[in-house]
Amino acid sequence: MSPRNVGAVMRKEFNHIVRDPRSLILAFIIPLSLILLFGYALSLDVENVRTVIVDHDRTRESRDLVRHLASSPYFRVQGHLESTAEVSVVLDSGTAAVGVIIPPGYGRDITADRSSPIQVLVDASDPNFSNITLGYLTAFINTYNQRLLLKFLDKNGMPAIEPPVDGRIRVWFNEDLQSRKFIIPGIIAVIIMIAGAMLTSLVIAREYEAGTMETIRSLPLTAVEFLLGKAVPYFFIAMTNVLIAVLLGQVLFDVVMKAEFSLMMAASSLYICVALALGLLISTVTRSQLLANQGAILLTYLPSLLLSDFVFPVTNLPRVLQLISSIVPATYYIEILNGIYLKDVGFALLWKDFAVMVLMLAVLSGLSLFILRREGL
Amino acid sequence: MTPSSDDAILVQDLVKRFGEFEAVKGITFSVRRGEIFGLLGSNGSGKSTTIRMLCGIIAPTSGRARVAGYDIESQSEEVKHSIGYMSQKFSLYEDLTPFENIRFFLGLYNVDRSRWKERMEWVLETARITEVKDRLTRDLPQGWRQRLALGCALLHRPEILFLDEPTSGVDPVTRRHFWGFIRELSEQGITVFVTTHYMDEAENCDRIVMIDLGTIVAQGSPAQIIREVCPGSEGADLNEAFITLMARSAP
Repeated sequence: MSPRNVGAVMRKEFNHIVRDPRSLILAFIIPLSLILLFGYALSLDVENVRTVIVDHDRTRESRDLVRHLASSPYFRVQGHLESTAEVSVVLDSGTAAVGVIIPPGYGRDITADRSSPIQVLVDASDPNFSNITLGYLTAFINTYNQRLLLKFLDKNGMPAIEPPVDGRIRVWFNEDLQSRKFIIPGIIAVIIMIAGAMLTSLVIAREYEAGTMETIRSLPLTAVEFLLGKAVPYFFIAMTNVLIAVLLGQVLFDVVMKAEFSLMMAASSLYICVALALGLLISTVTRSQLLANQGAILLTYLPSLLLSDFVFPVTNLPRVLQLISSIVPATYYIEILNGIYLKDVGFALLWKDFAVMVLMLAVLSGLSLFILRREGL
Repeated sequence: MTPSSDDAILVQDLVKRFGEFEAVKGITFSVRRGEIFGLLGSNGSGKSTTIRMLCGIIAPTSGRARVAGYDIESQSEEVKHSIGYMSQKFSLYEDLTPFENIRFFLGLYNVDRSRWKERMEWVLETARITEVKDRLTRDLPQGWRQRLALGCALLHRPEILFLDEPTSGVDPVTRRHFWGFIRELSEQGITVFVTTHYMDEAENCDRIVMIDLGTIVAQGSPAQIIREVCPGSEGADLNEAFITLMARSAP
């Protein structure tokens, strides 16, 4: 392999990029908009659930319940309605997701130390959201019951008791349960796939379409030199994207990438190489820019987004999709990033993910080289 | 580096099959150093397949060939260093300038860096495109682009120049210029291997091989072929000879 040949292809590829800045714009605008879009819009956290109240009771006790509910960060009381029928209207229209209906006599029952039902209606059209909301509601009612219980004991001159099971739950790795901390690494994985695979998927197809592949074949240039020269400029574009994403994650979303930077760079470099190899393979096989672009979206962008444990937890996927997920490069990269950023674990625990990506890189570039050599390079 | 014999190209029983289809059916010929050699045939006769095998672009199914003394299969890199190739379709980068195109070729051929400037200027002057070297190649007229492609193929002073249908779609004046230039190259000792289906042009060749459906139907100098194929008919040309041959081989 001659570095000079690699350099010549690199320079040419660089000239192409400069000549047609559309691809460069694609390489930076799409990642930027994705960070903003996902970072702001794709918050999986459930907060400020819009809640409406129907208080048929209108006593001190019922107002106390409502006040406690409103003071929780998870619920935002939007207003008071007159009837259950009105609740069904706002749930239908989607202006509120939870309706709490306090029956007449609630205050009387509570004061008399009797159990009193209250009705809660939840919009479950988004099951994920409603599951979380249900959890919040159950927790809220338990806490409120406990309060009332302690008050009851106090009133009757009994000492406060400790609950028999005192569960002390601590969440690790992402103590504030902020989904952003999980989303930013996922976005970086998707962005690299877009910048890396989608752009490189065009570069060999372009040679076939322009007829210049014939020239390439007639030149003293080996398949390895050709592929390397094609990949290097895009490696730097993808790497710039990683750095921009890390920076934006920090500035806009307070996701501080605190762990070892060198390990992060090593993982990113490897993952970029896998993405580039995949793009180049798609390009070599399809020989058409249109087909390559569609193939790249189908094979890189969507799986990285949907099957990589980023948006949907892999454990919930059907068996077939789990198998596919295990050959999606982003799965391993996201695992490494989460390991680095959330768990702060080192290479000792992550080497398997590195090894899988090295294997992927070898297989993908091996296939491209095989095809190109058969083509006369 | 140089082959010992006087033959720049030696072809022996060369066969190329694409699946069931046999494009080249075992051809044998040789090209002498410094001559202008024409490979003639109608479209689909196997011309391009042959030239692409000789340039190391596709591998032959069987048979052997040596180009500039190197085996086309086992030494294809060496072959590629010793030849210049201009394909049938214009195949330089249209979105790059002539300057950038030449730079690319300079980087890939074994041209010493100290000679880059001189070679760059030589190509630009020979192709008469010095003043447009920073314009986009796609904006240049067809004839100019063709000259640039020829210049790029000669950049590294190859021993042998392969031209696949170099004059298709070129006007008569440019064509005359082109053949004058080829003659000059040949006088400098460069072997020129040309494929064409224009029989009038083929008169410019020192020697000719005519192929049809992948087999050789005639070879020799233009005059020789005319004499053999059309004996007795005064003023016959290659065109007539070719048509006669085609009629003969038709079933």
